[in-house]
Amino acid sequence: MEDPDAPLVERAQRGDRWAFEQLVERHQNRLFTLAARTLGSVDEAADAVQEAFIRAWLGLPRFRGGSLFSTWLYRIGINAAHDQRLKRRTEPLDETREPADPRDSFHASELSSALQDALNQLDEDYRVAVVLYDVLGRSYAEIAELTEVAEGTVKSRIFRGRSRLAEILGTRTAEE
Amino acid sequence: MMAETHPHDIELFEYVEDELPQARRDEIAAHLATCGLCAEQVRQAAAGREALRETTLLELPEGRREEILRNLPQPERSPGERRGFFSKQLLAGIAALLVVAALAAVLVKTGGNSSMESSAGGTGGGAAEATATSGGGVEDARTAELFASGPAEDVADDLQRKGFKATVQKDRVVVHGATKAQVREALADRGLGDVEVVVKNP
Repeated sequence: MEDPDAPLVERAQRGDRWAFEQLVERHQNRLFTLAARTLGSVDEAADAVQEAFIRAWLGLPRFRGGSLFSTWLYRIGINAAHDQRLKRRTEPLDETREPADPRDSFHASELSSALQDALNQLDEDYRVAVVLYDVLGRSYAEIAELTEVAEGTVKSRIFRGRSRLAEILGTRTAEE
Repeated sequence: MMAETHPHDIELFEYVEDELPQARRDEIAAHLATCGLCAEQVRQAAAGREALRETTLLELPEGRREEILRNLPQPERSPGERRGFFSKQLLAGIAALLVVAALAAVLVKTGGNSSMESSAGGTGGGAAEATATSGGGVEDARTAELFASGPAEDVADDLQRKGFKATVQKDRVVVHGATKAQVREALADRGLGDVEVVVKNP
């Protein structure tokens, strides 16, 4: 498949910062959406995105085009978000602090807080799968490559993730 | 009465996505008509899909893009340049040539065969000295890089559990006293990622 990012990637690999800035511009919101929906925190997501782009910039010389640049970048983004989550778990101060309220974090977005609350309750594998497929529109093949599982597993995760999400939303609605 | 064997999640997913061949779709539809459990799962999956698809892309907060671009570090080497075996080999070769030249100069100065033995013995010492003085060139020839899915602490823990001397240094995992092949094999189940693993073979 032709990679629409290839010309910019080639320039960036030669050290062209302008080309890399165009790649940041092109992917920043999708990468941020992925991180924010999976982490449930705007600040942590922005940190993860920053880390991901820095890793991508430093890692560009090793990118050989075996996959789409966006797939490679999302993979780095998922790892960076995962690291943020681990950091949250291992920092004692975070445990004593009140968890951030996603409703505050996302007040300016069109996302309903109920949905983010429900996403936060999904297993990480399911959350990543539904966000990549239903929110970002990535293909089964790409998600399978990103998450290193078979396409069938991707479909199963999306199905279960969606079902669980609706179940949580339904319970929440019933309680209100 | 409970219906026959329930379809797998994958098929129920494909039913929701309308990706099944018509014949199989009809079979699943017949099953759903008699199986409340599966019908409820399908209903929920469809509802979940609708909820997710109502969402829109979020925008990176104001100022973050500039912060990212401002904080991009200088690459450790010019992008596009291979951090590779050949450049390290070249450095090692230059270092070795310098050592030989230095030894030749010493031989010319001291003269005589009697010094040959000590000079020959001194080759090792000279090389050791070259390692110390020319630093990275020679040492780099004994290092190798791998990349594994992270985080770095997990990779190091993984390697330590497998008996390697692995530490995390500046977000990289440094492994001493092993070969690249050994480390690669030990990390095979982690898959390719962006954590740099530096193998230093004594």
